Amino acid sequence: MASVSFSQIQKSFGKTPVLHGISLDIADGEFMVLVGPSGCGKSTLLRMLAGLEDITAGSIAIDGRVVNELDSKDRDIAMVFQSYALYPHMTVRENMGFSLRLREEKRNLIEERVAAAAKILNLGPYLDRYPRELSGGQRQRVAMGRAIVRDPKVFLFDEPLSNLDAKLRVAMRSEIKALHQRLKTTTVYVTHDQVEAMTMADRIAVMNEGRIEQLGRPLELYDRPANLFVAQFIGSPAMNVFDGAVKGGAVEALGARWPASFSKSGGLEGQRVKYGVRPEHLEPASSGIAAEIVVVEPMGAETELVVKVGDTSLIVMTRGRSTAGPGDRIFLAPDPAHAHLFDAASGLRI
Amino acid sequence: MTSRKLLSEAKLWLVAIPVLLWTLIPIYHIFLFSISTKDSAFSGRLWPKQPTLHNFVTVFNQDHFYLHHFWSQIWNSLWIAVATGVITLAIATCAAFAISRLKVRGGRTVMNAALFTYFIPAAFLAVPMYKAMGTYGLLNSRWSLVLAMVTIASPYAIWVLKQASDKLPWELDEAARIDGATPAQLFRLVYLPLMVPSLVAIFTYALLLAWNEYLYAFLLLSHENTIPLAVGLGHFLSSDDSPWELLMATALIYGLPPAAIYYAFRRYMVGGLTSGAVKS
Ligand SMILES: Nc1ncnc2c1ncn2[C@@H]1O[C@H](COP(=O)(O)OP(=O)(O)OP(=O)(O)O)[C@@H](O)[C@H]1O
Ligand SMILES: [Mg+2]
Repeated sequence: MASVSFSQIQKSFGKTPVLHGISLDIADGEFMVLVGPSGCGKSTLLRMLAGLEDITAGSIAIDGRVVNELDSKDRDIAMVFQSYALYPHMTVRENMGFSLRLREEKRNLIEERVAAAAKILNLGPYLDRYPRELSGGQRQRVAMGRAIVRDPKVFLFDEPLSNLDAKLRVAMRSEIKALHQRLKTTTVYVTHDQVEAMTMADRIAVMNEGRIEQLGRPLELYDRPANLFVAQFIGSPAMNVFDGAVKGGAVEALGARWPASFSKSGGLEGQRVKYGVRPEHLEPASSGIAAEIVVVEPMGAETELVVKVGDTSLIVMTRGRSTAGPGDRIFLAPDPAHAHLFDAASGLRI
Repeated sequence: MTSRKLLSEAKLWLVAIPVLLWTLIPIYHIFLFSISTKDSAFSGRLWPKQPTLHNFVTVFNQDHFYLHHFWSQIWNSLWIAVATGVITLAIATCAAFAISRLKVRGGRTVMNAALFTYFIPAAFLAVPMYKAMGTYGLLNSRWSLVLAMVTIASPYAIWVLKQASDKLPWELDEAARIDGATPAQLFRLVYLPLMVPSLVAIFTYALLLAWNEYLYAFLLLSHENTIPLAVGLGHFLSSDDSPWELLMATALIYGLPPAAIYYAFRRYMVGGLTSGAVKS
């Protein structure tokens, strides 16, 4: 049980700056997901918290105590690696009990804790196997078991699911989530997969190029992305975004008028903007902006349409099934309440 | 079998047979001598008329002028070989761990400098080594040969073990550190167990290097009771009328332990010595 706080964290590898002053407070028991494209520095930030990288500038505190100078082993954290990093020469039991053995805990206490963790993770039948005798998903669970057994202040995960196949990934996702709800241990979880981030997080920090672009609850990020980067990163399929200009209370773009609702501050007449609208807010209607269907992708519960407005392709998501086929003309009626406007120059939300 | 396969197989045999003969004929020759009587040794037959094990009995009973110290000499050989193996292993393992896993500053430079010594032929270093051992008063002690052999074996041993260490996943160290391991615990509980194949290979390498050494043994040790068997064997040739059948019987005995060790550890030898030799 602990809070974690990063303040003004900077990191350079040699002369290359990688993190540019990151501040982030994680509450006790919170499930925080760091998400961002490859190379944005999320692993680096996590590894600094773990004590595996030194801190170029700034400070990290766990439970109010600055840990900059503390060794990994004294930080009372547990980490699950992407590669699992199980000790190949130890059985599952020994792997899970290793940290306690290092602490010179009593034998039966170790047994007890390992058995308890194995029960939670359904690893009972595998306790005497070696990692090479396990499937990917089982190894993943052993890696988690190794973390649970220690009962640490903070769990760290670095893309723990990226070596699993799609189905197992979904299953493990809910397992991790359920585990967190049960143990309520503060968790920092790194992923580049925004779906993972959306489904698991209490709060998400979207990172890009060594900075946090936005911090918030999953649906906050989804509903009110603070800038273009977050708008396009969160959500699948991604938000449709195109250039336009404010004109008479709406946006002119792609040769049509797109309805928008402006907040008091933004939307000067003639301002160049990016107009964003999510695929599910672009439902076909009986009248509106004319578009031509290019591709129809039925997915059962929904149908994804790729349409052309002018020369620009947009994605439209309709509920249920569509009888339309390629070449058909439809009309789009975006809901102004769900239109996102960003300043074309700064990318910030208007 | 297709004709192409046949052809490649034939080519293989064409190489293998001469190589096999090349290695086996001398060994067979030794064997032949060792089971022949003194008179029939040079008869030129492919199999002696009356094969005998009498030569071995003579050797084991130390029943000849050149064999008076047979048992103590073979003990010396063994002692020196095992000591060299153990010390080389200890030095090389610690060095490899420090260089590869702890990333000690300047570690690589030290290793490269050590490897550089191989540019100087070992025979050139024999005299300085002799001088040094003399200075330390170690001449005629088995330790002098052990130290010399460790010096010669270590750079290669460090290099091989460092290459093998580099292949261990880095995350294992990080996981162990997070699990609370000190560097010493990391070394003992994670590093050593994973390095076993390479350690066995390097131990045997150093052991055999010392067991087979002649030049340094000859230089550094001169007393009948301190010399290893290799030098003892050399003494057979100091008269015109050498007892060849006994020399060969002793040689055969001398050659058996390396063969046995190699056989026992062959799995590790091939894997261990080549692992790290190439970047895969
Ligand atoms: N040891 C290192 N030395 C030099 N540069 C490094 C080192 N580790 C990471 N970097 C650089 O730091 C940046 C951030 O790396 P990091 O591993 O944190 O990215 P990431 O967000 O985790 O990406 P991914 O999703 O691919 O894992 C990258 O540009 C990377 O090249
Ligand atoms: Mg990463």
